[in-house]
Amino acid sequence: MSLKDCTLLTGRTINQGVALEGGKTTMENVRAAAICAFDKEDFKKLDCLVGTPVKITTNFGEVTVYSTISDEGPHPGIIFIPMGPWANQVVNPDSQSCGTPTYKGMKATVEVTKGAKVLDALSLIKLLKEA
Amino acid sequence: MVERKIKTVYDVICPFCGTLCDDLEVDVDNTTEKVVEVRNACQIGTAKYFSSNPSEHRYEKPMIRKDGELQETTWDEAIDKAADILVKSKRPLLYGFSSTECEAQGKGVELAETLGGILDNTASVCHGPTLLAEQDVGVPSSTLGEYKNRADTVVFWGCNPVHAHPRHLGRYSEYVRGYFKKDGRNDRFVIVVDPRNTHTAQIADLFVQVNPNEDYELMNAIRATLRGVEIEEEEVSGVPVEKIKQLVDILKKARYGVIFFGMGLTQTLAHHRNIDTAICLIRELNDHTKFLITPMRGHYNVTGANQVFSWNTGYAYSIDFSRGYPRYNPGEFSSVDLLMRDEIDSSLIVASDPASNFPADSVKTLFKYPLIAIEPHETPTSVFADIVLPPQMAGIECVGTAYRMDSVPLRLRKVKDAPGDCLSDLEILERLLEKVKEKIGE
Repeated sequence: MSLKDCTLLTGRTINQGVALEGGKTTMENVRAAAICAFDKEDFKKLDCLVGTPVKITTNFGEVTVYSTISDEGPHPGIIFIPMGPWANQVVNPDSQSCGTPTYKGMKATVEVTKGAKVLDALSLIKLLKEA
Repeated sequence: MVERKIKTVYDVICPFCGTLCDDLEVDVDNTTEKVVEVRNACQIGTAKYFSSNPSEHRYEKPMIRKDGELQETTWDEAIDKAADILVKSKRPLLYGFSSTECEAQGKGVELAETLGGILDNTASVCHGPTLLAEQDVGVPSSTLGEYKNRADTVVFWGCNPVHAHPRHLGRYSEYVRGYFKKDGRNDRFVIVVDPRNTHTAQIADLFVQVNPNEDYELMNAIRATLRGVEIEEEEVSGVPVEKIKQLVDILKKARYGVIFFGMGLTQTLAHHRNIDTAICLIRELNDHTKFLITPMRGHYNVTGANQVFSWNTGYAYSIDFSRGYPRYNPGEFSSVDLLMRDEIDSSLIVASDPASNFPADSVKTLFKYPLIAIEPHETPTSVFADIVLPPQMAGIECVGTAYRMDSVPLRLRKVKDAPGDCLSDLEILERLLEKVKEKIGE
Protein backbone atom coordinates (compact mmCIF):
# COMPACT_ATOMS: atom_id res chain seq x y z
CA MET A 1 0.00 0.00 0.00
CA SER A 2 3.01 2.27 -0.15
CA LEU A 3 6.18 2.78 -2.15
CA LYS A 4 9.43 4.09 -0.75
CA ASP A 5 12.54 5.44 -2.47
CA CYS A 6 10.83 6.46 -5.69
CA THR A 7 12.29 9.20 -7.86
CA LEU A 8 9.84 11.94 -8.74
CA LEU A 9 10.03 13.59 -12.16
CA THR A 10 7.83 16.44 -13.35
CA GLY A 11 7.26 17.88 -16.82
CA ARG A 12 4.95 18.92 -19.61
CA THR A 13 2.17 16.69 -20.91
CA ILE A 14 -0.03 17.65 -23.82
CA ASN A 15 -3.20 17.28 -21.72
CA GLN A 16 -1.76 19.59 -19.08
CA GLY A 17 -0.80 22.06 -21.83
CA VAL A 18 -4.30 22.08 -23.26
CA ALA A 19 -5.88 22.47 -19.82
CA LEU A 20 -3.77 25.45 -18.84
CA GLU A 21 -4.79 27.53 -21.86
CA GLY A 22 -7.60 29.52 -20.34
CA GLY A 23 -8.62 26.80 -17.93
CA LYS A 24 -6.15 26.80 -15.08
CA THR A 25 -8.86 27.06 -12.48
CA THR A 26 -11.06 24.34 -14.01
CA MET A 27 -11.56 20.65 -13.25
CA GLU A 28 -9.97 19.90 -16.63
CA ASN A 29 -6.68 21.09 -15.15
CA VAL A 30 -7.20 18.83 -12.11
CA ARG A 31 -7.76 15.84 -14.38
CA ALA A 32 -4.69 16.74 -16.46
CA ALA A 33 -2.17 17.77 -13.82
CA ALA A 34 -3.30 16.51 -10.39
CA ILE A 35 -2.19 13.00 -11.28
CA CYS A 36 0.80 10.80 -10.62
CA ALA A 37 1.81 8.25 -13.26
CA PHE A 38 3.37 4.99 -12.06
CA ASP A 39 5.31 2.27 -13.76
CA LYS A 40 2.91 -0.65 -14.34
CA GLU A 41 4.75 -3.07 -12.04
CA ASP A 42 5.19 -0.44 -9.31
CA PHE A 43 1.49 0.30 -9.45
CA LYS A 44 0.64 -3.33 -8.71
CA LYS A 45 2.53 -2.99 -5.42
CA LEU A 46 0.15 -0.21 -4.39
CA ASP A 47 -2.75 -2.69 -4.61
CA CYS A 48 -5.35 -0.09 -5.57
CA LEU A 49 -7.48 0.89 -8.55
CA VAL A 50 -6.44 3.51 -11.07
CA GLY A 51 -7.74 6.87 -9.90
CA THR A 52 -7.31 6.16 -6.20
CA PRO A 53 -5.82 9.22 -4.46
CA VAL A 54 -2.23 8.83 -3.36
CA LYS A 55 -0.14 11.03 -1.09
CA ILE A 56 3.29 11.89 -2.47
CA THR A 57 5.82 13.00 0.14
CA THR A 58 9.29 14.42 -0.45
CA ASN A 59 11.70 16.33 1.78
CA PHE A 60 10.04 19.51 0.50
CA GLY A 61 6.36 18.84 1.10
CA GLU A 62 3.45 16.57 0.37
CA VAL A 63 0.50 16.55 -2.00
CA THR A 64 -2.46 14.31 -2.74
CA VAL A 65 -3.12 13.47 -6.38
CA TYR A 66 -4.94 10.82 -8.38
CA SER A 67 -2.97 7.72 -9.36
CA THR A 68 -2.64 6.46 -12.90
CA ILE A 69 -0.51 4.00 -14.88
CA SER A 70 2.10 5.52 -17.13
CA ASP A 71 1.92 4.93 -20.86
CA GLU A 72 5.51 6.12 -21.12
CA GLY A 73 6.97 3.15 -19.26
CA PRO A 74 8.57 0.98 -18.25
CA HIS A 75 10.30 3.24 -15.75
CA PRO A 76 10.60 1.24 -12.51
CA GLY A 77 11.19 3.39 -9.45
CA ILE A 78 10.24 6.58 -11.26
CA ILE A 79 6.96 8.42 -10.68
CA PHE A 80 5.77 11.35 -12.80
CA ILE A 81 3.54 14.33 -11.97
CA PRO A 82 2.81 16.84 -14.78
CA MET A 83 4.18 20.33 -14.15
CA GLY A 84 1.78 22.61 -12.30
CA PRO A 85 0.63 23.57 -8.80
CA TRP A 86 0.39 19.96 -7.55
CA ALA A 87 3.90 18.98 -8.62
CA ASN A 88 5.27 22.21 -7.18
CA GLN A 89 4.16 21.29 -3.65
CA VAL A 90 6.85 18.62 -3.57
CA VAL A 91 9.70 19.87 -5.79
CA ASN A 92 13.09 21.00 -4.53
CA PRO A 93 13.23 24.83 -4.53
CA ASP A 94 17.02 24.84 -4.26
CA SER A 95 18.58 26.23 -7.43
CA GLN A 96 22.16 25.60 -6.31
CA SER A 97 22.79 29.26 -7.12
CA CYS A 98 21.88 29.04 -10.79
CA GLY A 99 18.33 30.40 -10.46
CA THR A 100 16.49 27.30 -11.66
CA PRO A 101 14.93 25.10 -8.96
CA THR A 102 15.48 21.35 -9.13
CA TYR A 103 12.08 20.37 -10.47
CA LYS A 104 13.11 16.82 -11.28
CA GLY A 105 14.69 13.92 -9.44
CA MET A 106 13.44 14.24 -5.84
CA LYS A 107 13.30 11.14 -3.64
CA ALA A 108 9.65 10.47 -2.84
CA THR A 109 7.41 8.08 -0.95
CA VAL A 110 3.90 7.17 -1.99
CA GLU A 111 0.98 6.15 0.22
CA VAL A 112 -2.48 5.11 -0.91
CA THR A 113 -4.99 7.38 0.79
CA LYS A 114 -8.43 6.09 -0.17
CA GLY A 115 -11.05 8.75 0.46
CA ALA A 116 -8.52 11.58 0.62
CA LYS A 117 -9.49 14.74 -1.22
CA VAL A 118 -7.53 16.00 -4.21
CA LEU A 119 -7.70 19.79 -4.08
CA ASP A 120 -8.35 21.93 -7.15
CA ALA A 121 -5.72 24.48 -8.17
CA LEU A 122 -7.30 27.44 -6.39
CA SER A 123 -7.90 25.57 -3.12
CA LEU A 124 -4.32 24.34 -3.19
CA ILE A 125 -2.82 27.77 -3.84
CA LYS A 126 -5.17 29.36 -1.31
CA LEU A 127 -3.43 27.28 1.36
CA LEU A 128 -0.14 28.92 0.36
CA LYS A 129 -1.74 32.36 0.37
CA GLU A 130 -3.06 31.78 3.89
CA ALA A 131 0.16 30.17 5.19
CA MET B 1 -24.94 39.33 -52.29
CA VAL B 2 -24.82 37.74 -48.84
CA GLU B 3 -22.22 39.24 -46.56
CA ARG B 4 -19.60 36.70 -45.55
CA LYS B 5 -19.85 36.06 -41.82
CA ILE B 6 -16.57 34.22 -41.31
CA LYS B 7 -13.18 35.71 -42.12
CA THR B 8 -10.12 33.52 -42.44
CA VAL B 9 -6.69 34.78 -41.47
CA TYR B 10 -3.83 32.87 -43.12
CA ASP B 11 -0.16 32.36 -42.19
CA VAL B 12 -0.85 33.08 -38.54
CA ILE B 13 2.03 32.60 -36.08
CA CYS B 14 1.08 30.49 -33.08
CA PRO B 15 1.87 32.15 -29.75
CA PHE B 16 2.20 29.02 -27.65
CA CYS B 17 5.62 27.34 -27.73
CA GLY B 18 9.08 28.25 -29.01
CA THR B 19 8.43 26.42 -32.29
CA LEU B 20 6.36 29.44 -33.43
CA CYS B 21 4.52 27.53 -36.18
CA ASP B 22 3.77 30.08 -38.90
CA ASP B 23 1.19 28.27 -41.03
CA LEU B 24 -1.98 28.48 -38.95
CA GLU B 25 -5.33 29.36 -40.48
CA VAL B 26 -7.82 30.89 -38.09
CA ASP B 27 -11.52 31.42 -38.81
CA VAL B 28 -13.11 34.31 -36.95
CA ASP B 29 -16.80 35.12 -36.79
CA ASN B 30 -17.04 38.71 -38.04
CA THR B 31 -20.10 39.60 -36.03
CA THR B 32 -19.07 38.22 -32.63
CA GLU B 33 -15.27 38.52 -33.01
CA LYS B 34 -14.90 34.94 -31.80
CA VAL B 35 -12.49 32.31 -33.04
CA VAL B 36 -14.59 29.50 -34.52
CA GLU B 37 -11.96 27.27 -36.16
CA VAL B 38 -8.20 26.80 -36.08
CA ARG B 39 -6.41 24.73 -38.70
CA ASN B 40 -2.84 23.38 -38.69
CA ALA B 41 -2.18 24.15 -35.01
CA CYS B 42 -1.42 21.48 -32.40
CA GLN B 43 -3.92 20.69 -29.66
CA ILE B 44 -2.40 23.26 -27.29
CA GLY B 45 -2.12 26.04 -29.89
CA THR B 46 -5.74 25.45 -30.88
CA ALA B 47 -6.80 25.65 -27.22
CA LYS B 48 -4.94 28.95 -26.87
CA TYR B 49 -6.85 30.54 -29.76
CA PHE B 50 -10.19 29.36 -28.39
CA SER B 51 -9.24 30.57 -24.91
CA SER B 52 -9.13 34.12 -26.28
CA ASN B 53 -12.91 34.10 -26.75
CA PRO B 54 -14.93 35.77 -23.98
CA SER B 55 -15.62 33.34 -21.15
CA GLU B 56 -16.08 33.26 -17.39
CA HIS B 57 -12.30 32.79 -17.13
CA ARG B 58 -11.33 35.80 -19.27
CA TYR B 59 -10.86 39.22 -17.68
CA GLU B 60 -12.38 42.03 -19.72
CA LYS B 61 -12.00 44.96 -17.33
CA PRO B 62 -9.31 45.98 -14.84
CA MET B 63 -9.92 44.58 -11.36
CA ILE B 64 -8.84 45.81 -7.98
CA ARG B 65 -9.14 44.09 -4.60
CA LYS B 66 -11.59 45.89 -2.30
CA ASP B 67 -12.87 44.36 0.95
CA GLY B 68 -11.12 41.12 0.06
CA GLU B 69 -12.82 40.76 -3.34
CA LEU B 70 -11.61 41.56 -6.86
CA GLN B 71 -13.94 44.23 -8.22
CA GLU B 72 -14.14 45.90 -11.62
CA THR B 73 -12.66 49.35 -11.85
CA THR B 74 -11.49 51.91 -14.42
CA TRP B 75 -8.11 51.81 -16.15
CA ASP B 76 -7.19 55.15 -14.56
CA GLU B 77 -7.78 53.89 -11.03
CA ALA B 78 -6.11 50.53 -11.66
CA ILE B 79 -3.00 52.10 -13.19
CA ASP B 80 -2.83 54.71 -10.41
CA LYS B 81 -3.04 52.08 -7.64
CA ALA B 82 -0.56 49.80 -9.40
CA ALA B 83 1.91 52.66 -9.81
CA ASP B 84 1.40 53.52 -6.12
CA ILE B 85 2.32 50.00 -5.05
CA LEU B 86 5.42 49.95 -7.24
CA VAL B 87 6.66 53.42 -6.29
CA LYS B 88 6.27 52.72 -2.56
CA SER B 89 8.23 49.47 -2.82
CA LYS B 90 11.93 49.27 -2.11
CA ARG B 91 12.49 46.03 -3.98
CA PRO B 92 9.74 45.33 -6.54
CA LEU B 93 10.06 42.17 -8.64
CA LEU B 94 9.02 42.42 -12.31
CA TYR B 95 8.65 38.86 -13.55
CA GLY B 96 7.28 36.97 -16.54
CA PHE B 97 7.43 38.59 -20.00
CA SER B 98 7.95 35.34 -21.96
CA SER B 99 4.39 35.07 -23.26
CA THR B 100 4.19 38.56 -24.62
CA GLU B 101 5.81 40.40 -27.49
CA CYS B 102 9.22 42.11 -27.66
CA GLU B 103 7.97 45.70 -27.68
CA ALA B 104 6.18 45.13 -24.35
CA GLN B 105 9.28 43.40 -22.98
CA GLY B 106 11.35 46.48 -23.83
CA LYS B 107 8.91 48.68 -21.95
CA GLY B 108 9.16 46.29 -18.99
CA VAL B 109 12.94 46.83 -18.92
CA GLU B 110 12.42 50.61 -18.86
CA LEU B 111 9.90 50.28 -16.02
CA ALA B 112 12.26 48.10 -13.95
CA GLU B 113 15.10 50.56 -14.48
CA THR B 114 12.92 53.53 -13.50
CA LEU B 115 11.77 51.72 -10.35
CA GLY B 116 15.23 50.43 -9.44
CA GLY B 117 13.62 46.99 -9.21
CA ILE B 118 14.46 43.44 -10.15
CA LEU B 119 13.75 42.21 -13.64
CA ASP B 120 13.43 38.54 -14.47
CA ASN B 121 11.79 36.34 -17.07
CA THR B 122 10.68 32.73 -17.10
CA ALA B 123 14.07 31.53 -18.39
CA SER B 124 14.90 31.86 -14.70
CA VAL B 125 13.00 28.60 -14.04
CA CYS B 126 13.56 26.80 -17.36
CA HIS B 127 16.49 27.48 -19.70
CA GLY B 128 18.41 29.85 -17.40
CA PRO B 129 21.11 27.18 -16.99
CA THR B 130 21.36 27.02 -20.79
CA LEU B 131 22.11 30.74 -20.91
CA LEU B 132 24.74 30.34 -18.19
CA ALA B 133 26.39 27.51 -20.11
CA GLU B 134 26.34 29.47 -23.36
CA GLN B 135 28.08 32.33 -21.57
CA ASP B 136 30.67 29.84 -20.27
CA VAL B 137 31.53 27.91 -23.39
CA GLY B 138 29.67 29.45 -26.36
CA VAL B 139 27.14 27.61 -28.47
CA PRO B 140 27.41 26.11 -31.95
CA SER B 141 23.86 26.40 -33.22
CA SER B 142 21.77 26.96 -36.32
CA THR B 143 18.30 27.82 -37.50
CA LEU B 144 15.59 25.18 -37.58
CA GLY B 145 15.41 25.41 -41.38
CA GLU B 146 18.98 24.12 -41.64
CA TYR B 147 18.10 21.08 -39.51
CA LYS B 148 15.03 20.47 -41.63
CA ASN B 149 17.04 20.49 -44.84
CA ARG B 150 20.24 18.78 -43.70
CA ALA B 151 20.09 16.88 -40.39
CA ASP B 152 20.40 13.10 -40.70
CA THR B 153 20.98 12.38 -37.00
CA VAL B 154 18.70 13.99 -34.45
CA VAL B 155 19.11 13.56 -30.69
CA PHE B 156 16.40 14.59 -28.23
CA TRP B 157 18.01 14.71 -24.78
CA GLY B 158 15.78 15.34 -21.76
CA CYS B 159 12.91 16.66 -23.83
CA ASN B 160 9.61 15.25 -25.01
CA PRO B 161 8.49 17.26 -28.05
CA VAL B 162 5.51 14.99 -28.73
CA HIS B 163 3.98 16.61 -25.64
CA ALA B 164 5.77 19.95 -25.26
CA HIS B 165 6.43 21.04 -28.87
CA PRO B 166 3.93 18.88 -30.74
CA ARG B 167 4.65 20.13 -34.29
CA HIS B 168 8.43 20.39 -33.96
CA LEU B 169 8.88 16.85 -35.28
CA GLY B 170 6.64 17.48 -38.28
CA ARG B 171 7.99 20.90 -39.17
CA TYR B 172 11.72 20.77 -38.47
CA SER B 173 13.27 17.69 -36.97
CA GLU B 174 11.82 14.27 -37.72
CA TYR B 175 9.10 13.63 -40.28
CA VAL B 176 9.55 16.71 -42.42
CA ARG B 177 11.03 16.39 -45.92
CA GLY B 178 13.98 18.74 -46.34
CA TYR B 179 15.90 19.97 -49.39
CA PHE B 180 18.62 17.36 -48.87
CA LYS B 181 16.46 14.96 -46.88
CA LYS B 182 13.82 14.20 -49.44
CA ASP B 183 12.58 11.04 -47.74
CA GLY B 184 11.79 12.78 -44.46
CA ARG B 185 11.70 10.36 -41.53
CA ASN B 186 13.46 7.59 -43.48
CA ASP B 187 16.42 9.91 -44.05
CA ARG B 188 16.93 10.59 -40.36
CA PHE B 189 18.18 8.53 -37.41
CA VAL B 190 16.44 9.67 -34.24
CA ILE B 191 17.87 9.08 -30.77
CA VAL B 192 16.14 9.87 -27.48
CA VAL B 193 17.94 10.04 -24.12
CA ASP B 194 15.52 10.18 -21.20
CA PRO B 195 14.77 8.40 -17.90
CA ARG B 196 11.29 7.54 -19.21
CA ASN B 197 10.29 5.74 -22.38
CA THR B 198 8.47 8.87 -23.50
CA HIS B 199 6.17 9.07 -26.49
CA THR B 200 9.06 10.72 -28.34
CA ALA B 201 11.29 7.77 -27.37
CA GLN B 202 8.65 5.31 -28.55
CA ILE B 203 8.96 6.60 -32.12
CA ALA B 204 12.77 6.91 -32.08
CA ASP B 205 15.30 4.58 -33.69
CA LEU B 206 17.37 4.35 -30.50
CA PHE B 207 16.24 4.94 -26.92
CA VAL B 208 18.89 5.41 -24.24
CA GLN B 209 17.35 5.15 -20.77
CA VAL B 210 19.49 7.19 -18.38
CA ASN B 211 19.09 7.27 -14.61
CA PRO B 212 17.44 10.48 -13.32
CA ASN B 213 19.98 13.18 -12.39
CA GLU B 214 22.86 11.28 -14.03
CA ASP B 215 22.98 12.92 -17.45
CA TYR B 216 26.26 14.65 -16.63
CA GLU B 217 28.04 11.34 -16.04
CA LEU B 218 26.60 9.79 -19.20
CA MET B 219 27.56 12.79 -21.30
CA ASN B 220 31.14 12.63 -20.02
CA ALA B 221 31.27 8.89 -20.66
CA ILE B 222 30.25 9.60 -24.25
CA ARG B 223 32.98 12.26 -24.52
CA ALA B 224 35.56 9.85 -23.12
CA THR B 225 34.52 7.08 -25.51
CA LEU B 226 34.65 9.56 -28.39
CA ARG B 227 38.30 10.26 -27.49
CA GLY B 228 39.08 6.56 -27.49
CA VAL B 229 39.15 5.99 -23.72
CA GLU B 230 38.11 2.51 -22.56
CA ILE B 231 35.62 2.83 -19.71
CA GLU B 232 36.37 0.38 -16.91
CA GLU B 233 32.77 -0.07 -15.82
CA GLU B 234 29.94 -2.21 -17.12
CA GLU B 235 27.54 0.68 -17.19
CA VAL B 236 27.39 4.45 -16.64
CA SER B 237 24.22 6.17 -15.39
CA GLY B 238 22.30 2.95 -15.99
CA VAL B 239 23.45 2.71 -19.63
CA PRO B 240 25.63 -0.31 -20.59
CA VAL B 241 29.06 0.70 -21.91
CA GLU B 242 28.38 -1.31 -25.09
CA LYS B 243 25.35 0.90 -25.76
CA ILE B 244 27.47 4.02 -25.19
CA LYS B 245 29.94 2.74 -27.80
CA GLN B 246 27.07 2.07 -30.22
CA LEU B 247 25.77 5.60 -29.61
CA VAL B 248 29.20 7.16 -30.19
CA ASP B 249 29.56 5.22 -33.47
CA ILE B 250 26.22 6.54 -34.67
CA LEU B 251 27.09 10.12 -33.70
CA LYS B 252 30.48 9.94 -35.45
CA LYS B 253 28.95 8.54 -38.64
CA ALA B 254 26.40 11.36 -38.86
CA ARG B 255 26.89 13.76 -41.77
CA TYR B 256 24.93 16.52 -40.05
CA GLY B 257 23.73 16.01 -36.50
CA VAL B 258 21.86 18.04 -33.93
CA ILE B 259 21.09 17.69 -30.24
CA PHE B 260 17.83 19.22 -29.03
CA PHE B 261 17.62 19.36 -25.26
CA GLY B 262 15.07 20.40 -22.68
CA MET B 263 14.26 20.59 -18.99
CA GLY B 264 15.65 17.11 -18.43
CA LEU B 265 19.08 18.76 -18.45
CA THR B 266 18.37 22.19 -16.98
CA GLN B 267 16.09 21.25 -14.07
CA THR B 268 18.06 18.28 -12.77
CA LEU B 269 21.12 18.22 -10.55
CA ALA B 270 24.21 19.73 -12.24
CA HIS B 271 21.89 22.22 -14.03
CA HIS B 272 24.13 24.39 -16.26
CA ARG B 273 27.04 21.95 -16.01
CA ASN B 274 24.91 19.47 -17.96
CA ILE B 275 24.65 22.01 -20.76
CA ASP B 276 28.35 22.96 -20.53
CA THR B 277 29.19 19.32 -21.09
CA ALA B 278 26.65 18.90 -23.88
CA ILE B 279 28.15 21.88 -25.71
CA CYS B 280 31.67 20.49 -25.17
CA LEU B 281 30.47 17.16 -26.60
CA ILE B 282 29.24 19.02 -29.67
CA ARG B 283 32.62 20.76 -29.99
CA GLU B 284 34.39 17.39 -29.86
CA LEU B 285 31.97 15.77 -32.31
CA ASN B 286 32.89 18.50 -34.77
CA ASP B 287 36.38 16.94 -34.93
CA HIS B 288 34.66 14.06 -36.73
CA THR B 289 31.59 15.51 -38.42
CA LYS B 290 29.16 18.43 -38.36
CA PHE B 291 27.12 18.67 -35.14
CA LEU B 292 25.05 21.47 -33.60
CA ILE B 293 22.85 22.02 -30.55
CA THR B 294 19.61 23.90 -29.91
CA PRO B 295 17.56 24.29 -26.71
CA MET B 296 13.85 23.47 -26.92
CA ARG B 297 12.50 26.77 -25.60
CA GLY B 298 9.07 26.55 -23.97
CA HIS B 299 7.19 29.87 -23.89
CA TYR B 300 6.76 31.22 -27.40
CA ASN B 301 8.80 34.37 -26.78
CA VAL B 302 11.13 33.45 -23.93
CA THR B 303 13.96 33.66 -26.46
CA GLY B 304 12.73 37.17 -27.27
CA ALA B 305 12.72 38.09 -23.57
CA ASN B 306 16.36 37.01 -23.34
CA GLN B 307 17.22 38.99 -26.49
CA VAL B 308 15.38 42.16 -25.45
CA PHE B 309 16.75 42.09 -21.90
CA SER B 310 20.27 41.47 -23.27
CA TRP B 311 20.30 44.29 -25.78
CA ASN B 312 18.87 46.70 -23.21
CA THR B 313 20.86 45.73 -20.13
CA GLY B 314 23.62 43.38 -21.25
CA TYR B 315 22.05 40.44 -19.42
CA ALA B 316 19.39 37.90 -20.37
CA TYR B 317 17.61 37.42 -17.00
CA SER B 318 18.01 37.86 -13.20
CA ILE B 319 18.81 41.57 -13.35
CA ASP B 320 18.90 43.99 -10.41
CA PHE B 321 18.56 47.75 -10.98
CA SER B 322 18.66 48.77 -7.31
CA ARG B 323 22.01 50.55 -7.69
CA GLY B 324 20.82 52.48 -10.74
CA TYR B 325 22.67 50.26 -13.19
CA PRO B 326 22.01 46.64 -14.19
CA ARG B 327 23.68 43.87 -12.20
CA TYR B 328 23.36 40.19 -13.08
CA ASN B 329 23.60 37.24 -10.75
CA PRO B 330 21.39 34.16 -11.11
CA GLY B 331 21.01 32.60 -7.68
CA GLU B 332 20.94 36.07 -6.11
CA PHE B 333 18.57 38.04 -8.34
CA SER B 334 16.63 35.10 -9.79
CA SER B 335 12.97 35.13 -8.77
CA VAL B 336 12.67 31.84 -6.88
CA ASP B 337 15.87 32.48 -4.91
CA LEU B 338 14.71 36.02 -4.04
CA LEU B 339 11.37 34.70 -2.87
CA MET B 340 12.93 31.87 -0.86
CA ARG B 341 15.02 34.49 0.96
CA ASP B 342 12.02 36.84 1.33
CA GLU B 343 13.78 39.71 -0.43
CA ILE B 344 10.97 41.43 -2.32
CA ASP B 345 8.23 43.77 -1.15
CA SER B 346 5.90 43.80 -4.17
CA SER B 347 5.60 42.16 -7.56
CA LEU B 348 4.39 42.89 -11.07
CA ILE B 349 3.71 39.66 -12.94
CA VAL B 350 3.45 40.03 -16.71
CA ALA B 351 2.01 37.18 -18.81
CA SER B 352 3.00 34.48 -16.38
CA ASP B 353 1.63 32.32 -13.56
CA PRO B 354 4.29 31.88 -10.90
CA ALA B 355 1.75 30.66 -8.32
CA SER B 356 1.32 27.56 -10.50
CA ASN B 357 4.90 27.25 -11.65
CA PHE B 358 7.13 28.16 -8.70
CA PRO B 359 7.93 25.80 -5.82
CA ALA B 360 5.36 26.10 -3.01
CA ASP B 361 7.58 27.84 -0.43
CA SER B 362 8.47 30.64 -2.84
CA VAL B 363 4.77 31.17 -3.68
CA LYS B 364 4.06 31.81 0.01
CA THR B 365 6.44 34.79 -0.08
CA LEU B 366 4.97 36.05 -3.36
CA PHE B 367 1.56 36.34 -1.72
CA LYS B 368 2.89 38.09 1.40
CA TYR B 369 3.29 41.33 -0.56
CA PRO B 370 1.14 43.37 -2.96
CA LEU B 371 0.83 41.62 -6.31
CA ILE B 372 -0.14 43.18 -9.65
CA ALA B 373 -0.94 40.77 -12.50
CA ILE B 374 -1.10 41.67 -16.19
CA GLU B 375 -2.99 38.55 -17.21
CA PRO B 376 -5.88 37.79 -19.59
CA HIS B 377 -7.25 34.75 -17.70
CA GLU B 378 -8.09 33.57 -14.23
CA THR B 379 -4.99 31.79 -12.96
CA PRO B 380 -3.90 30.87 -9.42
CA THR B 381 -1.72 34.01 -9.57
CA SER B 382 -4.31 36.47 -10.87
CA VAL B 383 -7.18 35.21 -8.69
CA PHE B 384 -5.18 36.11 -5.56
CA ALA B 385 -3.64 39.30 -6.98
CA ASP B 386 -4.39 42.77 -5.61
CA ILE B 387 -4.74 44.34 -9.04
CA VAL B 388 -5.48 42.59 -12.35
CA LEU B 389 -4.79 44.46 -15.59
CA PRO B 390 -6.36 42.58 -18.53
CA PRO B 391 -4.27 42.57 -21.72
CA GLN B 392 -4.99 41.73 -25.31
CA MET B 393 -3.37 38.40 -26.17
CA ALA B 394 -0.35 39.05 -28.37
CA GLY B 395 -0.43 37.10 -31.61
CA ILE B 396 -4.21 36.79 -31.43
CA GLU B 397 -5.55 40.24 -30.55
CA CYS B 398 -2.56 42.47 -31.24
CA VAL B 399 0.61 42.41 -33.30
CA GLY B 400 4.18 42.27 -32.07
CA THR B 401 7.52 40.53 -32.54
CA ALA B 402 8.49 37.13 -31.15
CA TYR B 403 11.72 35.12 -31.36
CA ARG B 404 11.57 31.44 -32.28
CA MET B 405 13.68 28.98 -30.25
CA ASP B 406 16.49 29.38 -32.81
CA SER B 407 16.47 33.19 -32.32
CA VAL B 408 14.70 33.97 -35.59
CA PRO B 409 12.36 36.94 -35.09
CA LEU B 410 8.86 36.63 -36.56
CA ARG B 411 6.05 39.16 -36.69
CA LEU B 412 2.93 38.04 -34.81
CA ARG B 413 -0.42 38.70 -36.48
CA LYS B 414 -3.70 39.96 -35.14
CA VAL B 415 -6.72 37.81 -36.00
CA LYS B 416 -9.49 39.47 -34.00
CA ASP B 417 -10.33 42.22 -31.52
CA ALA B 418 -9.98 41.61 -27.79
CA PRO B 419 -13.13 41.47 -25.68
CA GLY B 420 -14.09 44.25 -23.26
CA ASP B 421 -11.62 46.97 -22.32
CA CYS B 422 -8.41 44.97 -22.76
CA LEU B 423 -5.32 46.95 -23.77
CA SER B 424 -2.11 45.58 -25.26
CA ASP B 425 0.70 44.64 -22.83
CA LEU B 426 2.72 47.45 -24.40
CA GLU B 427 0.03 50.04 -23.76
CA ILE B 428 -0.50 48.87 -20.17
CA LEU B 429 3.23 49.04 -19.42
CA GLU B 430 3.51 52.45 -21.13
CA ARG B 431 0.69 53.86 -19.02
CA LEU B 432 2.15 52.30 -15.89
CA LEU B 433 5.59 53.75 -16.67
CA GLU B 434 4.13 57.18 -17.34
CA LYS B 435 2.26 57.12 -14.01
CA VAL B 436 5.32 55.86 -12.12
CA LYS B 437 7.43 58.69 -13.59
CA GLU B 438 4.75 61.19 -12.62
CA LYS B 439 4.70 59.91 -9.04
CA ILE B 440 8.46 59.95 -8.57
CA GLY B 441 8.69 63.37 -10.20
CA GLU B 442 10.71 62.49 -13.29
